[in-house]
Amino acid sequence: METATQGATGSAQVQVVAPPPASFVARMIAIVGEKNCIREPAQLRTYEADGLATFRVTPGVVVLPGSTEEVSQVVRAAWEANLPIVARGAGTGLSGGALPVAGGLLLGLSRMKRILEVDLANGFLRVEPGVINLDVSKLISAQGYYYAPDPSSQSVCTIGGNVAENSGGAHCLKYGFTVNHVLGLRLVTYDGTVVDLGGPVQDSPGYDLAGVVVGSEGLLGIVTEVVLRVLRKPEATRTFFATFPSTTEAGNAVSAIIASGIVPAAIEMMDTLAIVAAKAATGLDWPEVGAALLMDVDGPLAEVEHTAAHASMLAQKAGSLEVRVPKDEAERALMWKGRKSAFAAVGRISRNYLVQDGVIPRSEIARVLKEIAELSTKVGLRVANVFHAGDGNLHPLVLFDARNPGEEQRAEAFAGDILRICLRYGGSITGEHGVGADKAIYMSEMFSDADLETMGMLRCAFDPSRLFNPGKVFPTPRLCGDKPGVYKPHSTELSGDAVRV
Amino acid sequence: MTAYEPSSIEEAQAVLRSGARFCLAGGGTAVAAQPGVDVLRTGRLNRILDYNALDQVVTVEAGVTLAALQRELAAKGQRLALDPPLPARATLGGIIAANSFGPLRARYGSVRDLIIGISILRADGTQAKGGGKVVKTVAGFDLPKLMCGSFGTLGLIVTATFRVHPLAEATQDVIRRGLDAAAVVATVAALRAGQFEPAAVVATRVPGGLYDVAVRFEGFAAGVGQQISRFQAEPAPGDIWAVHEQVRCAGPVRLKIAALPTDLPRVEAALAPLGGAFSWYATLGLGFISGDLDLAAIDMARRSLAGLRGSVVVEAGPEGLDRWGPPPASLALHKSVKARLDPQGVFAPGRFVGGL
Repeated sequence: METATQGATGSAQVQVVAPPPASFVARMIAIVGEKNCIREPAQLRTYEADGLATFRVTPGVVVLPGSTEEVSQVVRAAWEANLPIVARGAGTGLSGGALPVAGGLLLGLSRMKRILEVDLANGFLRVEPGVINLDVSKLISAQGYYYAPDPSSQSVCTIGGNVAENSGGAHCLKYGFTVNHVLGLRLVTYDGTVVDLGGPVQDSPGYDLAGVVVGSEGLLGIVTEVVLRVLRKPEATRTFFATFPSTTEAGNAVSAIIASGIVPAAIEMMDTLAIVAAKAATGLDWPEVGAALLMDVDGPLAEVEHTAAHASMLAQKAGSLEVRVPKDEAERALMWKGRKSAFAAVGRISRNYLVQDGVIPRSEIARVLKEIAELSTKVGLRVANVFHAGDGNLHPLVLFDARNPGEEQRAEAFAGDILRICLRYGGSITGEHGVGADKAIYMSEMFSDADLETMGMLRCAFDPSRLFNPGKVFPTPRLCGDKPGVYKPHSTELSGDAVRV
Repeated sequence: MTAYEPSSIEEAQAVLRSGARFCLAGGGTAVAAQPGVDVLRTGRLNRILDYNALDQVVTVEAGVTLAALQRELAAKGQRLALDPPLPARATLGGIIAANSFGPLRARYGSVRDLIIGISILRADGTQAKGGGKVVKTVAGFDLPKLMCGSFGTLGLIVTATFRVHPLAEATQDVIRRGLDAAAVVATVAALRAGQFEPAAVVATRVPGGLYDVAVRFEGFAAGVGQQISRFQAEPAPGDIWAVHEQVRCAGPVRLKIAALPTDLPRVEAALAPLGGAFSWYATLGLGFISGDLDLAAIDMARRSLAGLRGSVVVEAGPEGLDRWGPPPASLALHKSVKARLDPQGVFAPGRFVGGL
């Protein structure tokens, strides 16, 4: 029943799938209330896709719980009814991680957006999963603190979604990803049990299960609270925008800057098409050159004065055409807006596009971009590149026009070949967007059967019934060994007389 | 009891398939052997497999010592930003398994923040990997983090890949002497308020005494100079980390303490009946207390720390001492993870939290 209907044009076929049993829906209404249990077909369709709109599946019911207790009851009920559960934050994910299961339960966590604890002296916040990423920084900005992970969608995406995907962002090069900023979390497990993993105090005895849950793409449980590490703002930040004849010189500049011992807060690359798109979206007066770098260094004032000047010199030595320094904070913000809006901006220069997310060793950027460009010519489809150069996280955008017969399929094949290039250079099929529904088929090209089997063991340890986000991450369905088929709880467990450990 | 020391991953697989139970050992700096359990040492798995200085990524076999790795990296102006005690003996596999760390954790995080890939042998000898060889990947479950602090109970770590950092151009230590607990907390607050970026902040005191707070600044010379000139402290006379090193390595009893950084005054009160010298990683809320501690006082200290959301773990002490204290609330999940990855209980039976 998990047939994702694909079609960038939105021409998805309508599926007819049995809705959840009426008794189950009644139970959901009893838990979350009438208005937080969505059953009307037109409303259900608004949840049929996340940011990867080429995959669409209509859920059977959407439930919007308001507390951990409600999540626990919903999960328990779904487990008893043997219904799959897909969690969803703001739906900005780019790998189909929040793609519903036909006829299944979609658990929307957007109502859970309370800030539960603020302790800046100890550098943490405890929040619910529906809190928007940027709102965390806004809340503590006046006191001089911020939350470091900054996905481009940060003004709308939620902390819960960030946790599920281990989201990155431009400034992860120096500061790390979501997992490096999550100290602990509260998890509702497959049978509705609530457990706390980690916490504001570091090194709680036991396995780093919070570290395992972060980035597990909704397969291990439902996160209902997150303890976030927040940082004191650096004393100073220096930004520059450097232009180059081509991505080769820009790639060499990145290598030279990093080799010099500088750890930039961010170092982002855009090629010509991405520059053109960003200009169209923001009105920036960027020259339409072969490549551009946007770089931040931050830290103590004297240090950033030194590193900014040194990095700028290295960019020039690598062949930059021009190095621009923003004259004020407003111009700096505009430059970053140009970068962060680049994905969406590509929509201005192409009717349709696919966003790819692969990682390569950063020293290979120039060579890999050349291979992609050659492939682009061969396939006859344009590619725009806008990506995190410092950690080798490429985001090639494959441009196409779905009105041309077969072009979408060619674009998808091309995007897949880009991942294979990344793997050939020793890289990864995803740096920050996640595997989701989109890349499950590539997992077996990056991992061996034994690797996937081991990850499967971890999945079974958390969720023996495998009802959390089925069809994602793993290329082939696996059973949990000693419990063939879909797990059915024993009657003593249902009555509460026994607990499966 | 037999000790094995395989020289290749294939040999290690053969040893595991012999059907015995194993206590996994690196340099023996963090975990004692278990009576009646065979020992599998990683000392001969000691090759640096792949080091690309340009990408700042290195892959090693588990038995490589930290000191050996640092020598290799230093030749290219880099280092692994981890400084646990006894680097000449401590192996990378052991550091991962024991979640070992030193003062630099304040700036660079712990091994979980620096590891990017891992390869393990499961109890049946099957080799499995997670993560990758690039600094950023989110493909698949995070096996590297699962292994961090797992104390050899889930699998034998055979290789690991780390992100490495450039060596600092300049390093300077300063010290604030004779502070009480409240003044240590105030020092951390002042560092934050002043937007300082110290690499390490460790407060150490001898039994009953006041704290000396050692602070390290490192980075480019200009930034270090600026911070030193603004931060009120004495220049360091020689090695100000030596007393801390002693606390980290001393016995006969040594405990690891965890609590919120601002709770230091209450932590100090809770630990007072134990006696012993105390080192506190003031920005992290982690500490170590060691010496001829009063064993009878451990339970009480545990209860007090639990009330502060913290914990007390026995790092070294006589056989039979409850090492981990009360099991975590998530014990069922812990057991489930152990049962899936090591269903026969081959690895370090009973060593971990809750008798895992």
